[in-house]
Amino acid sequence: MKKSPKVNEVNEFLEIASDFEDPLEVIRESLSNSYDAGASEVKISIRNQPEGSDIIIEDDGHGMNERDLESFFDLGNSRKTDSIGYKGHGTKIFYKSDHIEVTTVRDGKSYRAVMEEPWEKLNRKELPKYELTKHSVRSGNSQTKIKITNFRSGKGFNAEELTYNKIHHYLKWKTIAGSLAHKFGEFQREMDIIVELDEDIDDTRDKLVTTNRLELPEEQEEPGDGRFPAERMCKHYPAEEIDVEYDGGETTVQIVGMVGGKKARNELPTYGKHSSQFGVWLAKDHIKVERHNEAISHDNEYIHFFFVANCQDIELSANRETIRNKSSSVYQAVTEEIEYYLSKVMQDPWFKEEYLQTRKEGKHRRRMANQQSSLKERRERIEADGFNPANSSEVLLGLERAVNGNASLTLSVEDFQPDADVHAIVRHAGRLRNAAVHPTLTGLLNEEVPLENVDLAVCWTQGDPAELKEYERNGYIGGELSVQLENGALVYRDGENHYTEVIEVKPLLESKVSATADD
Amino acid sequence: MSRTITENTFNFEVNATAGDARTGTLHVNGTRLKTPNLFPVMNFYAGGTENSVYGGGVHRTMKEFMIGAERVSVDPLTNYFDATMMSVSSLTDYNLTRKRFEAYLDTPIKERELFEPFEGTVFADSGGFKFLNNAEIDGSDFEEDMDQRTVYQIQKQLGSDIIVNLDHPIAPDDSHQERVKKAERTAENIHTFLSLTRDFDGAQYLTLHGYNYSMMNEYLDVITDSVPQGVLHEGFDGIALGSLVPKKDDRGALIQAVTDCREVMAEWGMEDWPLHVLGISSRAIPILAALGADSFDSSTHIHNAINGKYSHSLMDHSPIKEADFSKCDCPVCQSDHLVNWMRGNTEYKKDILGPVAMHNLIVQKRELADIRNRIQQGGEDALVDYFEETFGRDRTMRQFAHQVVNQSLGGYF
Ligand SMILES: [Zn+2]
Repeated sequence: MKKSPKVNEVNEFLEIASDFEDPLEVIRESLSNSYDAGASEVKISIRNQPEGSDIIIEDDGHGMNERDLESFFDLGNSRKTDSIGYKGHGTKIFYKSDHIEVTTVRDGKSYRAVMEEPWEKLNRKELPKYELTKHSVRSGNSQTKIKITNFRSGKGFNAEELTYNKIHHYLKWKTIAGSLAHKFGEFQREMDIIVELDEDIDDTRDKLVTTNRLELPEEQEEPGDGRFPAERMCKHYPAEEIDVEYDGGETTVQIVGMVGGKKARNELPTYGKHSSQFGVWLAKDHIKVERHNEAISHDNEYIHFFFVANCQDIELSANRETIRNKSSSVYQAVTEEIEYYLSKVMQDPWFKEEYLQTRKEGKHRRRMANQQSSLKERRERIEADGFNPANSSEVLLGLERAVNGNASLTLSVEDFQPDADVHAIVRHAGRLRNAAVHPTLTGLLNEEVPLENVDLAVCWTQGDPAELKEYERNGYIGGELSVQLENGALVYRDGENHYTEVIEVKPLLESKVSATADD
Repeated sequence: MSRTITENTFNFEVNATAGDARTGTLHVNGTRLKTPNLFPVMNFYAGGTENSVYGGGVHRTMKEFMIGAERVSVDPLTNYFDATMMSVSSLTDYNLTRKRFEAYLDTPIKERELFEPFEGTVFADSGGFKFLNNAEIDGSDFEEDMDQRTVYQIQKQLGSDIIVNLDHPIAPDDSHQERVKKAERTAENIHTFLSLTRDFDGAQYLTLHGYNYSMMNEYLDVITDSVPQGVLHEGFDGIALGSLVPKKDDRGALIQAVTDCREVMAEWGMEDWPLHVLGISSRAIPILAALGADSFDSSTHIHNAINGKYSHSLMDHSPIKEADFSKCDCPVCQSDHLVNWMRGNTEYKKDILGPVAMHNLIVQKRELADIRNRIQQGGEDALVDYFEETFGRDRTMRQFAHQVVNQSLGGYF
């Protein structure tokens, strides 16, 4: 006996409706349906309600007949064959509500379908039914109105979180409203999209009006003036249709896009984190799905690029957020072709020699300006405070100056390693001696420089005398320390006596200065 | 048999261009060579008897293909030997005796009865890269000091059509001082070379060394300190760009060197001279051609065979064992006898590898013919298509292909 595996229809509906949490996904779905119905205008209004949100979608498309309405409510019975909604899952998102009402006019007939409490019934493991009524109408004005009451969005997707900005961005990035299909000469039909939000949700404007096209920021191949000369630079790369052969067939990739600076890119309707919008998008039905930024090699930051590569042979996951057939040979072939195309863009002299060069020059000029102001500050500080070493190199510089002005001081620096404990080897009265060099003597001790091999401690000043006393009192790295500045020395005892001569540079320089003044 | 040597009839004419790429004809000593073209490195010598076609491993089989020897039983494949590169220093590859050495140089290559079918252009390099460290030919019972005089003597005795002065190639880590010193020593050789070659019947190429414009320009500055520019112009017919072998896998460096070389040539009034790039070929061929190099030489067809590689194109090869010889219509793969060899049914390894090397050479020569053809079609499109078709699947190469298209062939956008 053969047996058929059974499907629990209720669970199936529950599962699919639960996959969609974002009320914006309702919008994506509706726009695609309206476009497919040949609508020239879609109006979407969203109203915040205590239990969820009320969503009304109206379009002037060719409407639905009885068969279309079946598809609307059925599972896996879509009438589309190749485009996004082919699995017929999309409209099932509406089941997460208290009431669905569809009124539509087609071919002189008006239909009204009403479904009561679909979400509650599904949760009671009961398959919701819809009531269909049919009338003849005199005028053939086709249109569709879908009203969803108390749509339950998931946590974090409440209607009150929505704003016009957020919706605008979503429309342009995730729905047919962000299509670049018009760049390819096909798909010329325009559709106006109007979104109205409840004043509770966003009262910054009356409504949002846009179209089903994404317009790239205007081209500007020349640099601007100002601190960021490349920021408004922008070049469009013409729409290209590439036939791609792969193991098992042939497909077409349509690719178009732009390269541009931050200011140009910001003219695109983006919301939130801009860097997550740019790069190379793979699209189906010209709706962007997932990015493939690997197409841009490492030395080029993807953020300067905005390209959309459309291919009808990529397949989407149930929630349409990701590509399902990534391991297929068609995907491999398509991404390879995209990488190849973008390699051309990256070798375009405008990009390499104009845009990147302009950015580099801008950066250079900003660096120069910053240098100027920091140099100015440093010079002012010198004028006010005089020479004041901040590190061991500067202490040595001071030492050189002291030596120059003082014939009795026979000292020269022969070797300097800033990273070593003992920084310098100096020739002192003809002999090579190991020198630890620090702005202060206390600094040297704080760093716990082992004194066994230090013949000379060169410092600008001794530092805080009380701190030195503490070392005498508490000891230094397991031994005793005696600071004998009157003899110009440190004596460290750890069983043996280690004698380190101290050279304070500041007093040496001051004596030089005063000597010059006496002349 | 002896042939009448026509008088010095060097002439290079460009007949079509596509961007910076050009096709032309090089007439030397009655030979006529289409450019851009590849000079396969040939070792016309070896251990040295008539029996072994002046033998030596894979080189010997190549020569047998060239003359259509009975052993390989194909007609002479002379059309793939329209140009050859003979390295003077290859004489050091064999432990030859003084007697053999002298016997070998006794008759010019093309006048030997054995090589009667061969009428290609012979370019004899100077061996500079090899003599730099060891300035002698070391035979089993003699040593020959290599200087400009000896090198020229050998080049002449070989019956060369194109020769270069003995040079001192630079290395990537040479200091500035070392480079200048090498240029000065090369300048001395050029001086000698020019005084020796006054009655040479063929083309004389001037070696040029450097990785960028400034290095090449300085090189010519140093040379013209001892050899006046006018004398250079009078004495030389072409440029041989050297020292690039250590950079052969750095496509960016090659592109810069060849691009800058053409710029230097233009500024020194040598833009009409043919440009030969020494020791670079294979996958770099289309790039060199697109940038305007007219010829290049290499032994990659042999090296690939020795490494077990059977070429499908300039870009692709597969292990010999996996090759489907029936897919190739070259005379080697069309011969059952040779396919049998390539399948390993021979006593000697060289007989497996020899036909593979010949096939590999044919692949390169055919692609060059295609490239010439595309340059001649007028406009850059055909050559750009070539880059599209050949480099598309190669991630490491394509960015350079795209760079060349943008830089030298009119660009994409
Ligand atoms: Zn073949």
